Amino acid sequence: MTASRRSGWNSLLLVGLLAASPVWADELAGPRYHIQGFAAQGLIGSTNNRFFGDSRDGVSTEFTEAGLHGTWQALDAVRLSGQVLYRRAGESDKDGLRVDYAQADWQFYQTTTTQLGLKLGKVKLPYGLYNETRDVPFTRPGILLPQSVYVDNSRDLLLAAPGAFLHGASVQQYGATDFLLGWVRPDFDSPSVDYSFLGTTRPGKLKGKGALGARLRWDLPTDTTLMLTYANATGDYAPGNADLLRAGSIRFRNLLFSAQQRLDTLTLTAEYGEPRFDTAGFGPFLPDSHRVIQAAYLQGEWRFLPAWELMLRHDIFYRDKHDKSGRQFAAATGLPAHSMFARDTTLGLRWDTTPNLMLRAEFHHVDGTGWLPGPDNPVFLSREQRWNMWLLQAAYRF
Amino acid sequence: MAHAHFLFRRLVLLILLVSPLAASAGVIVNADVEGHSISVATLRNIYTLRQTLWPNREPIVIFVLPDDHPVHVAFAKEKLGLYPYRLRQTWDRMSFSGMASAPIQVKDENEMRARVRATPGAIGYTSKDIVYDGIKTLRLE
Repeated sequence: MTASRRSGWNSLLLVGLLAASPVWADELAGPRYHIQGFAAQGLIGSTNNRFFGDSRDGVSTEFTEAGLHGTWQALDAVRLSGQVLYRRAGESDKDGLRVDYAQADWQFYQTTTTQLGLKLGKVKLPYGLYNETRDVPFTRPGILLPQSVYVDNSRDLLLAAPGAFLHGASVQQYGATDFLLGWVRPDFDSPSVDYSFLGTTRPGKLKGKGALGARLRWDLPTDTTLMLTYANATGDYAPGNADLLRAGSIRFRNLLFSAQQRLDTLTLTAEYGEPRFDTAGFGPFLPDSHRVIQAAYLQGEWRFLPAWELMLRHDIFYRDKHDKSGRQFAAATGLPAHSMFARDTTLGLRWDTTPNLMLRAEFHHVDGTGWLPGPDNPVFLSREQRWNMWLLQAAYRF
Repeated sequence: MAHAHFLFRRLVLLILLVSPLAASAGVIVNADVEGHSISVATLRNIYTLRQTLWPNREPIVIFVLPDDHPVHVAFAKEKLGLYPYRLRQTWDRMSFSGMASAPIQVKDENEMRARVRATPGAIGYTSKDIVYDGIKTLRLE
């Protein structure tokens, strides 16, 4: 981020605070700040392919997550919040410590049943049910999120970005509704994003131009949650030295449907999306393409004891909805067809040992390499279609 | 006035004797909170972080006991109709995303009463519908 843009954000923030203070000068009760955090370590073993480190026929310890989260109610109507995150995920994420998000939320309209606000800063992006807290192990349904919808390959794109969101929430007889609508400058510049959008790491730089995001959530009195997320992001490519690619552009659009039904100790969840992905202007080595991806999963969680939960999930991912088997892709490129799809069946067990400690175990049987992390498996032709993976994770919170 | 108060105490005692649920967990608020009763829907909206203001526009400050505390478990299930783990899911989702502040956790019922008494706009719960100085008990309707 450049110095000038940073000062731009600061002045926006200042204007927000000044505008807020005369109207909401009431004394706020109770503590004005809150700090919480977590640390988690995973172990991963797999057959045939690698996931987050050298897990093939061995054990990878390269899956570590830790976060420190703070909230400060600066004024009755202004809340500042942010999170510092440490994350290591094999070769796919070696960035270590980073600012996950840092935002100011100005709640300019509040009644007992309705709130309206404006979030500014490096804001969390709304995307489906789990994205905003995807790095907090306790909030996920498993050690890994369903990779079809929440692809860890392009996580940088979905995490948080500088921008602004208008948000509102209302609770009525028909249930609780909330919405988010905003604009951000997304982050396309990471090796894993290069892999998933340009096929491999490239010498040039992919830069986010802008993204529009919107989400509607409706929590019905029947313990049902319905959600609709829309995202539309564009990025430009600046070629590097001796680059085969020209200055092209990419575009990503998605309408994601989410539904969750809670029945006593059972939680059923489904999410479905058909992300559209276009590339144009990269020259002969990356022909223009318009692909429709298909991503969906069905998941059941069962709290069979107060501290124990069982999870079963089936997750499907097709890189090209019109070439699900990958045969056309294989015929055209000579590359393996199984890179065009992935079907993952997952069984997971969660034990909340104490309110502060969670232990998890998970088994995946995967058919296809559609979302296999590229940086961990750089040799395209040595990836294998069918593979298994087990994971263990211990997570502590305070 | 004193007579009515006495009658009220008698009534509370009677309810305590006849109803096993009434003794399980009572809703308490700071003395500055208006009203004598609260609806189950409002209580649930407050504890799922959807209602953040009292009707007089004072911010609500929520206190909770640890997730595995028997009084918390009873309050969550019987008063809110929610399992403690579902409450925790909601608080984590709202707080870690920066959309709301998580409730303030206290270690036991003594601290719960002390903090609710000292904090304007506070809401909490205890194991018994007993009248304490400086704290108001709300009737559930």
